Amino acid sequence: MNLPALSITVPRVPVGDGFKAGVDFLKDNLAWLFDIIGTIIEVCVEFLGVTLSEPSATQLFVAASVVVAVGLWLRGHRYSATIPFAVWIAVWAAEAYGGATTAMLSQLDPVLFTWAQSLFGEEARFVYPQLLPAIPLFLALAVLSFTMTRDPRQRRLAIYVICGLAAFIALHFIVGVQLSLLVTMLFVLVAWLIAGTGLAIFSLLGFLLIISMGLFDDAMSTLALIIVATAVAVAIALPLGVLAAYNDRVSNVLKPVLDFMQTLPAFVYLLPAISFFSVGEVPGVIATVIFAMPPGVRLTELGIRQVDKELVEAGEAFGAPDSQILRNIQLPLALSTIMAGINQVIMLSLSMVVIAGMVGASGLGNQVYTGIAQAQIPIGFEGGIGVVILAIYLDRLTGAVTRFSPAAKAQRAAASR
Amino acid sequence: MPPLLVGRRVLRGRTTEEGTVPAVRADKLYKVFGKRANKAVELLGDGRHRDEIKQLDVTAAVIDVNFDVKAGEIFVVMGLSGSGKSTLIRMLNGLLEPTAGTVEIEGTQITGLPPAELRRLRSQKISMVFQHFALFPHRTVLENAAYGLEVRGVPREERLVKAKESLGLVGLDGWEDHLPTQLSGGMQQRVGLARALAADTDIILMDEAFSALDPLIRRDMQSQLLELQATLGKTIVFITHDLNEAMRLGDRICVLRDGRVAQIGTAEEILNDPANDYVAQFVEDVDRTRVLTASSVMEPPIPVIDPSHGPRAALRTMRENQTVSAFVVRRNRQLVGAVREGAIGEAVRNGVKELDGLVDGDIERVHPDTAVADLFHQAAESPYPLAVVDGDGRLVGVIPRVTLLAALAPIGSGDDTGNGAGGGEVAADGEGDSSVKGADEGGATAAASDAPAAEDTDSAAARASDGPPEADTAEEGSER
Repeated sequence: MNLPALSITVPRVPVGDGFKAGVDFLKDNLAWLFDIIGTIIEVCVEFLGVTLSEPSATQLFVAASVVVAVGLWLRGHRYSATIPFAVWIAVWAAEAYGGATTAMLSQLDPVLFTWAQSLFGEEARFVYPQLLPAIPLFLALAVLSFTMTRDPRQRRLAIYVICGLAAFIALHFIVGVQLSLLVTMLFVLVAWLIAGTGLAIFSLLGFLLIISMGLFDDAMSTLALIIVATAVAVAIALPLGVLAAYNDRVSNVLKPVLDFMQTLPAFVYLLPAISFFSVGEVPGVIATVIFAMPPGVRLTELGIRQVDKELVEAGEAFGAPDSQILRNIQLPLALSTIMAGINQVIMLSLSMVVIAGMVGASGLGNQVYTGIAQAQIPIGFEGGIGVVILAIYLDRLTGAVTRFSPAAKAQRAAASR
Repeated sequence: MPPLLVGRRVLRGRTTEEGTVPAVRADKLYKVFGKRANKAVELLGDGRHRDEIKQLDVTAAVIDVNFDVKAGEIFVVMGLSGSGKSTLIRMLNGLLEPTAGTVEIEGTQITGLPPAELRRLRSQKISMVFQHFALFPHRTVLENAAYGLEVRGVPREERLVKAKESLGLVGLDGWEDHLPTQLSGGMQQRVGLARALAADTDIILMDEAFSALDPLIRRDMQSQLLELQATLGKTIVFITHDLNEAMRLGDRICVLRDGRVAQIGTAEEILNDPANDYVAQFVEDVDRTRVLTASSVMEPPIPVIDPSHGPRAALRTMRENQTVSAFVVRRNRQLVGAVREGAIGEAVRNGVKELDGLVDGDIERVHPDTAVADLFHQAAESPYPLAVVDGDGRLVGVIPRVTLLAALAPIGSGDDTGNGAGGGEVAADGEGDSSVKGADEGGATAAASDAPAAEDTDSAAARASDGPPEADTAEEGSER
């Protein structure tokens, strides 16, 4: 028997062209939006990279102020924590957009500053206009820490920060120790405070290795890229996760979208990202955010759904509105799961650094990519080792932060009963 | 059944005024889960059983429930799992919207209230205690207890002071800074109770609040709840599947079966006058001695002897009534003591004219609210029937040993115990009346006013006697 050949023509669906058309449409109509997003991300990454690798005295003072202010905020002194910053921002803006501080200073009697000049002597060049508002900011917060609260923890915090800042400034600006070593010491300190001795020793050795490979600046710009990408991803993932936890329909729609984001090969959306933002840090961050965000959403949703229904009901039974139930009951109890999600986001971000490096982001990824492109095994391997050290450091650190979550505390309390 | 039966605790002096707005009112309340709920309500309203409407693919949890909870009473909703009691309690504070019918809280209809209003009402009028405690594990005991006030927006200092007070009330002083997980189950539920008390609402819903606790701790908590209730006078709606718990706590009990109300009444009513076989079966296993009180089993004090009468008159009274002992009671019903036939007879033979030296003043007296379980020891020790004496020292009833035994027999069991149970029933009916009168007149002369009516029956003497049980049952049996 001779069957006729049966062939059914499946019409060609223009998927790729449709995608291209969509990208073009967005590019034509929303170019301004992408410009703004791109600029913000770029500024953030660069600023953070520079701050981490070569912090200026101003940045150190501001960073120290932030630490003290967070302490004040957490202990309930919200105005004390925010007002100095508001004043500082106003002064800083006035200086940046018109040199107000410089103008004001130049009108003052120079005698007022001669003491500083004589104190610093040759190093008087470290006293510059941007620094001047930052010093009173820090001093104000330090004083407030002692006057506003009787909490000894806040005072201790302030004393530690003052000592640390003084030591840092003295070691660098007077003794002349390189910034990379001092920043490493900061990382070690953070590791010791949050995760304990083990991670402190590891981070000391790890970062020293990075310095010895001459990759410190690259590592810092990678770290900056990861921090920014993680911040963006978490900022999007948290509300989405909460929404999905509250609404089954949102959850059902989000699931395939998240799968899509995670499994679509990165290169596919790297191209449109480049066409939106051109090469550099930004498409790297965007690609990282797309790839790394899904676990953040998923674990946030899971964490909130896992909170005991009876607890939520208790909140409702006492008449608490949904927003309060979310803030006071669900989020605190979901925190350890959410932190696990953030940890995953960071880890996935790190796995994207090489791809980010390919599209022009500086840092360890770029180093690895250079190694690949030039078939130079040592260069690529050293970059890779740098990524691994960063990964282990960040993973252990975020894992340790989970210990401080309220639910984890409750569990420990139950275990010690 | 009398139209209004106030619970036994009302007799202790708390007044429940008739005509005031009920604290909680459920009016033709239905909750049906499923798409065709309204159709189901219609069918159920026509009296169909919930299994008959299975084809509608709905679950009828609560069907046509009506009740009023009076301010200051403990209203127990009792039912087995699946009887709809949890659904019912969640409709009372608006956590669940009824499919049909309405809920009123202190006269405000909460069904259909906008969410914000409903939340406000919850935070100010109704708090809740949960089966599995539902304490926030990330907050200290103190912060947990302060939660209700926090929601209401009370400043931190003030609410912590109030929370500390209510933790003191439940006996958790010194545990304020612990986390709930560090506490034992019983203590955790105390925190749950303190949280509800601190919220300072008039109404507290308790959803199987003690069911997750060990039996011993459960008893403790029940006692504590009763104590607190006596001083605070909250309105409590208590859900349980444990009949003994219901009987112990409830001023009134609502028995739910398959979503419908099987019976609403006091513990004694449900025990002695079950509305149907289901309830009867249910109460079969209950420990009656813990539910029934002295006042519900006691009998009219006949005969009584006036102290001014001489021994001869006393002897005649006892012989007329065929008893071997009698209580000596003044004209205002103050109990003086008891006399025995033997001693009086001897006195009469010896020509004693005064009763004074013959009265045995050292007799066992019990309060009308004493549980029957606590009477046995005293009854065994005493040569006389137990004298039931109210707070003012007036004799309101007597409990012969045989009555005590009869009270133990379940209703409607075999012939050999049937007589005794009959006696118990008579006594319980008397108590029903006396409760009403007690509420009207201050709970003083209940038994006294009943006494003439009981005297009419021939068996009254036998029941009041302290003779051997055989004689008693024989006499009553012959009457039938």
